[in-house]
Amino acid sequence: MQDTFLEKQFKESEMLDAFSRSVVAADASTSTIDTEGLANLRKFVAEGNKRLDAVNAIASNASCMVSDAVAGMICENQGLIQAGGNCYPNRRMAACLRDAEIILRYVTYALLAGDSSVLDDRCLNGLKETYAALGVPTTSTVRAVQIMKAQAVAHINDTNEMYKGTGKYRQMGAIKGDCAAITAEAASYFDRVIAALS
Amino acid sequence: MKSVVTTVIASADAAGRFPTTSDLESVQGSIQRAAARLEAAEKLGNNLDNVAREAYDACIKKYPYLNNDGEANSTQVFKDKCLRDIKHYMRLIQYSLIVGGTGPLDEWGIAGQREVYRALNLPTAPYVEALKFARNRGCAPRDMSAQALVEYNALLDYTINSLS
Repeated sequence: MQDTFLEKQFKESEMLDAFSRSVVAADASTSTIDTEGLANLRKFVAEGNKRLDAVNAIASNASCMVSDAVAGMICENQGLIQAGGNCYPNRRMAACLRDAEIILRYVTYALLAGDSSVLDDRCLNGLKETYAALGVPTTSTVRAVQIMKAQAVAHINDTNEMYKGTGKYRQMGAIKGDCAAITAEAASYFDRVIAALS
Repeated sequence: MKSVVTTVIASADAAGRFPTTSDLESVQGSIQRAAARLEAAEKLGNNLDNVAREAYDACIKKYPYLNNDGEANSTQVFKDKCLRDIKHYMRLIQYSLIVGGTGPLDEWGIAGQREVYRALNLPTAPYVEALKFARNRGCAPRDMSAQALVEYNALLDYTINSLS
């Protein structure tokens, strides 16, 4: 039976992690995992605790990140909460908060797996078309994702600052170290979301 | 592909929640054991041709009738294919060591195995003999560390069980 156009375009593939990704790549040429591939995986293992701390930093702050990102998006574009705006009335604002949380959740999964397949297949595949059909504005969505990206980077590195004039402040308190690689990887998953929506 | 990480993510996703502390603990456990698995994968990968060749020779030695006319190991083409099959299993075992689960063996080796061997009129006993030889051949610390050998042997046993 022939696949329809939509089935072809949004075909689901299986969820991979950093390890199974290298295995699938090696299988394509029926070769074993070579020394270079093993070295990369050993690095993944050696830096495993940083990854888990990074996932924890996002998961522990998720609801705060989501509401701040959506509030920030609206703050910059008040038209969203006026009659006819996409965050008016509360029902649509609630849908927006829900979607931001879903996107953040799949980014967290990708960061835990060390591979973007779960984000691609279960979240981004067809998202742009869905939002176009529902009339969700791309620029606003992208802005919310950009804010979540900045928040995630700040929480992973514990560089978030006190909100002016208040005691609102969140530090994860993990031992400081070189988190450049895991930060760049986390940022790349947010960029992937932005690229998929644009 | 099934592994500790993908299983954790799939169940978190089914419940629609962020990864919890216990999810992260499961992943941490798998990462802790990864060193031994990767060592076994490295040693096996570096010596895969020899390991497969010895296992192949051992099974032909036990079942010499396979060399008779019309049998599975009678011509050079057949011999090459038999050796290739053993290498194939060893490669999938290496993949499974990397992934930390039996996903590659299950999906690319065991699924449909019986049907294929029946269709091609191939006996499974020689495969078992070859893998059994490899199972008893590994030696710690000569070939790899004791923990790495445990992981390697477990996958050989898993493959043997799938064939018997």
